[in-house]
Amino acid sequence: MTTKLKGRAWTFGDVMDVDWEICPFEIFQQFIAKGKMPTPEDLGQYCMTTVDPNFPKKVKKGDFIVAGETFGYGHDHDHACKAIKGAGVAAVICDSTSGNFFRMSLEHGLPVVQYPGIRKLTAEGDEIELDLAGGVIRNMTKGKEYHFIPYPSFLLEMIEAGGLYPRLKQRAAAGKL
Amino acid sequence: MGQTITEKILSRAAGRPVSPGEYIEVSSRVPITMGRFTGDRTSPMMKELGVDKLFDPNLIHFVDGHIGTSPSHNAGEARSRTREFGKRMGIPLENIFELGRAGIEHVVSGDNAWALPGEIFMCAHNNGHTTTSGALGAFAFPLTFGSNNYLITGKTWVRVPDSVKIVVNGKLPKGVVGRDVVEYALGQIGPIASAGKVIEWVGPAIDDMSIDSRFTLCCNALFFGAWTAIINPDQKCIEYVKSRNPNPFEPLYSDPDASYAHVFEIDVSNLVPQIVPPPERYHVHPVTQHEGKPINRGFAGSCANGRMEDMRMVAQVLKGRKIHPEVVFNITPGTDRILKQCVQEGLMEIFLEAEAIVPVPSCSMCAGLTTPLGAGDVCVATGTCNYRGRMGSRDAEIYLANAATVAASCVEGKIADPRKYL
Repeated sequence: MTTKLKGRAWTFGDVMDVDWEICPFEIFQQFIAKGKMPTPEDLGQYCMTTVDPNFPKKVKKGDFIVAGETFGYGHDHDHACKAIKGAGVAAVICDSTSGNFFRMSLEHGLPVVQYPGIRKLTAEGDEIELDLAGGVIRNMTKGKEYHFIPYPSFLLEMIEAGGLYPRLKQRAAAGKL
Repeated sequence: MGQTITEKILSRAAGRPVSPGEYIEVSSRVPITMGRFTGDRTSPMMKELGVDKLFDPNLIHFVDGHIGTSPSHNAGEARSRTREFGKRMGIPLENIFELGRAGIEHVVSGDNAWALPGEIFMCAHNNGHTTTSGALGAFAFPLTFGSNNYLITGKTWVRVPDSVKIVVNGKLPKGVVGRDVVEYALGQIGPIASAGKVIEWVGPAIDDMSIDSRFTLCCNALFFGAWTAIINPDQKCIEYVKSRNPNPFEPLYSDPDASYAHVFEIDVSNLVPQIVPPPERYHVHPVTQHEGKPINRGFAGSCANGRMEDMRMVAQVLKGRKIHPEVVFNITPGTDRILKQCVQEGLMEIFLEAEAIVPVPSCSMCAGLTTPLGAGDVCVATGTCNYRGRMGSRDAEIYLANAATVAASCVEGKIADPRKYL
């Protein structure tokens, strides 16, 4: 992946719960009951379907979720980040997010960018360019730019590597653990 | 400009002054708890990385309390593999809190005051209620997906969070406890203002509050959208910690001129017991609004309310009474230590005479691991969540309330205001 991402915006409201709107926890439990740890692709088929049943079919690889306040509400259940990645979403841009969802997502290699007010500034289908290293959200459709404080280099490297464990493997292979 | 307790703890951990929004790398000198059979998840990862040791086996505490004696999660084999993993990694035997000396991880942590004031306290794997230990003036959060990384490297990253201050004024009326305060505050503040932040509970009603109730306040920070919650240590807290943990500590406190993203004030002088009907977690009502709704299940326990204060409230209501013939009432003490104290104080006899059941200390019915709800069941519970399917069938209803409300409702077979029993 690259730290410059391009895609279309899919908009959602406030307080999307990890265990309900983002991906019902019972879906995860059903996989576990069958003895299978679900893959991101398994869970991606259920991503945001509580709000929009056709979302996994409509979303294209590299698109963005643009949401309101407290995206990733609720428990620190990381099946939600897996579902978003599995649906092909490249990043979440939101007004605000919960502490655990933010950490888990970045560690899964899913960028989550907080920009207060972004939900109202974005319409569904807007073309967005997200420059993670530069700290810029560019709305190409509206010709507007919004600046945020970029992640520090160690997190950019982690996201670039695909997440915490791919990064840890790189460090282990380089003898830097 | 002064600093909040959170900023001070993270500054000390980072070795320099830090402000909200900064990203830092941190580690901790206090124990890290592993709740479930996490040897299962850590072992293969270590193999893949080609590493054969953990950052510090002496700091790892296994607490086998999530599932209790349930056969769930392939318990038999997983338990053996955890023992084997502990042995291989050199985790001291006294750090393995298996059934009989365990309970719910967050309640065991509190019982032993592992989260020392002024320190960072973390818990491995999915455990959003790790924040419970913030009641002791520690910055407490779950490592979740980053757990294996921490267990190997001893380091994790933190984005220094903003703080939200909730000032709780007034004096709590009889029969109204921490659980009612936290639910009332959630109902008033909602799940947006605190997103990703730390809730700092302050005020006269917090000063008056028992340590047990303070744990309850911090347990459910995640339902505010907050990352965690914290309470500045006072004499009561310091004495509690010293009586349970012999290790030295240096508490930290918020400065009077510290900066907060929001400050909310609530007054609890006229507060009545609160109830959270299904399915939204943050729609909170006075219990009086739902009185008379028939119920057939009750649960007192969980990391929110499985402590002595809760057990005593249940007993106070049940003493000399029987539960309603249509009700099954599950009372699960949070830890083995609490269970023993229930026996010593004579509470157990009251529970059994009332015809309640008392499973082994664990998450128990809160996660549907004992007496799961069936379709059509209506339960009043002190558990943490009321979403569909949390305690069993997705076609059951869960009302969340304090322990006395649960007990009173189980006596009457319908949602009841407990104050007449107290």
